[in-house]
Amino acid sequence: MSNHQTPSKPVTSVSTSSLSLNKDLIGGLIFLALSIGYGLSAQLIPYFPGDEYEPFTARTLPYVLSVLGTVLSFSLVINALREQQKNKQQASDELAVPTLTPALGYDWSTVIKLLAIMVVYAMGLKWMGFVIATTFFLFAGFWVLGERRKKILFGASLPFVLVFWFALTQLLDIYLAPGQLFALIGFGG
Amino acid sequence: MLDGILTGLGTAVMPMNLLMVFVGCFVGTFIGMLPGLGPISAIALMIPITYGLEPSSGIILMAGVYYGAIFGGSTSSILINAPGCSSTVVTAFDGYPLAQKGQAGKALALAAYASFTGGTISAIFLLVAAPALASVSLSFQSADYFALMVLGLTAVAAFSGKGQVLKALLMTVLGLMISTVGTDRSTGVERFTFGNIDLMDGISFLLLAMATFALAEVVMAVLKRDHLKDEENQTDSSQIGSMAVTKEEVKEVAPTALRSSVLGFIVGVLPGAGATIAAFLAYGMERNLAKAKEKLKFGSGSLRGLVAPEAANNASSSGSFVPLLTLGIPGSGTTAIMLGALIAYGIQPGPRMMIDNPDVFWSVIVSMYIGNIVLLILNLPLIPYISKLLMIPRTVLVPMILFFAITGVYLVSFNTFDIVMMVAFCMAAIGLRMLNFPMAPLLLGFVLGGLMENNLRRALMISDGSLSFLWERPITLVIVCITVLVLVAPVVQMLLQKKRDKAALNADTNSGTEKTA
Repeated sequence: MSNHQTPSKPVTSVSTSSLSLNKDLIGGLIFLALSIGYGLSAQLIPYFPGDEYEPFTARTLPYVLSVLGTVLSFSLVINALREQQKNKQQASDELAVPTLTPALGYDWSTVIKLLAIMVVYAMGLKWMGFVIATTFFLFAGFWVLGERRKKILFGASLPFVLVFWFALTQLLDIYLAPGQLFALIGFGG
Repeated sequence: MLDGILTGLGTAVMPMNLLMVFVGCFVGTFIGMLPGLGPISAIALMIPITYGLEPSSGIILMAGVYYGAIFGGSTSSILINAPGCSSTVVTAFDGYPLAQKGQAGKALALAAYASFTGGTISAIFLLVAAPALASVSLSFQSADYFALMVLGLTAVAAFSGKGQVLKALLMTVLGLMISTVGTDRSTGVERFTFGNIDLMDGISFLLLAMATFALAEVVMAVLKRDHLKDEENQTDSSQIGSMAVTKEEVKEVAPTALRSSVLGFIVGVLPGAGATIAAFLAYGMERNLAKAKEKLKFGSGSLRGLVAPEAANNASSSGSFVPLLTLGIPGSGTTAIMLGALIAYGIQPGPRMMIDNPDVFWSVIVSMYIGNIVLLILNLPLIPYISKLLMIPRTVLVPMILFFAITGVYLVSFNTFDIVMMVAFCMAAIGLRMLNFPMAPLLLGFVLGGLMENNLRRALMISDGSLSFLWERPITLVIVCITVLVLVAPVVQMLLQKKRDKAALNADTNSGTEKTA
């Protein structure tokens, strides 16, 4: 078959289109898996004796939602497959199908770093306490986003945190634990 | 009703509550101006602060933030062509061209006057409609409530735009699924906690709102590198020119503002429609009504094109409070957040709210109007100064917003697991946003999940497990029929469109073959 095809652009683009999953298809498949998983997990919800005679139990809504989710996501998958099929036939229109390719142009590395900083902040809060953890969080956040001016890096982190800490603990009377590390050493709480 | 208005006025003009209106409008305007951050994020960021306030003060603050954020969104639409929220996208169509012609001040002033008109007219409507609807809904039973909630959730999906209906419905289902995590309130059974103690109380509504809106919107801006590109735009925003509007211009736009306000309010009352649809509809209506010569101006700096969406989106904001205050059913993501906050205060919005908490009910309505006045007389002259706040480098602003979002959740629960969960939800939200899934239905489903399950349980218990409760009472039957219509309408529309396309294609091929023959 391939012998009859000239190596022209449309042929290659059609083949890539058939390989790349469109957004709706991916979304539909994710929701399909989620709905089935949710339905299966719903079976773990404990039953009370006599619950089988009740019209409504703790499992009722989860079951309904699981079925609804499965039906809807299945419809989305079918729709997406149909769209893909249609676009395969109209090779010129293939750009109209939203694919995941634009995602490659995004600044994923900065976002991943920011999300990692947030997780580290969550752990740091417990061990280092509010002031130190937040100062580090802000400093790291500014740095990751490309801020290199020392005035801003230091001026917008520690003083801001101290003012915020003062407002919380002294003005609003909110107790902020000093951090387990300090407690272990013997300082604070 | 007069007693109620006086009660509301008495509560709203208390110094603390007046301060809340001022603060709310100011902060809302600032947050709303930040491209990408809309009213939902603005309100979510305010919720932790409101927990320390009286219920009426808290809700007044949130209502102020809501108005302020929409106004702020319009400002950034006009000044830098970067709508702060979806409801002000239309404002940029004619607002930004006006700003480019050196008439930014006039555009801002007209937008503020239009918002004020929309707010005034809708506040009057709200004053009349809310108590009337509340008294009708006093006769509602659990079956009616369940049907109404289903209607609200499906309507949000149906209005979500072409090709988005299935996705919006799926997001609603996801929201409902998340709401089932935790201990079941009526049986005391744990659901989907997988033995994790932190999940026993369920997932906090604040956490979900912050993660899927405030956090996700900021992170999405970073993902798209928006924080790098906007600094050059902001330099112009402090030079906005004269804010004077001539008599002729007022005469030209007054009927537009009135028409759009009425339309906006009606659209706002409909569950799911919201300010964005109201703004688009008003713009479309005004363009259709315009004379051929004027029609050409639309999109290149038409005053009517600017006033119509502004009046409509503001009126719609008030309109969306009608189902929230009277039925306890939010019609939009923003009012869903407010419902969550009200429930956190121990106030159940709905027909009994007017009887049980008249101070909250009426003060919200009255303070909305005060909010409009504040926006007009305080925010408008302050715009050149507020817009200077946008000069704060995004490299500083982004971590600060992330910090406020995280701290807002942490200071309520003092549980670091919540922060990790926020990051997880934020990642999921980014993924879903990239796959073009709308977020508001998720929040709506989550907020209504518990209430819906309770009402369904009660209705099923009363009818002894039979689904006949859906058609036994006329009110329930009417609501169910509307729900079915709302659900079926997009499908019918799609089928008709397909038929039309096919007919057009056939006609084309026929004419083609005739020509070749």
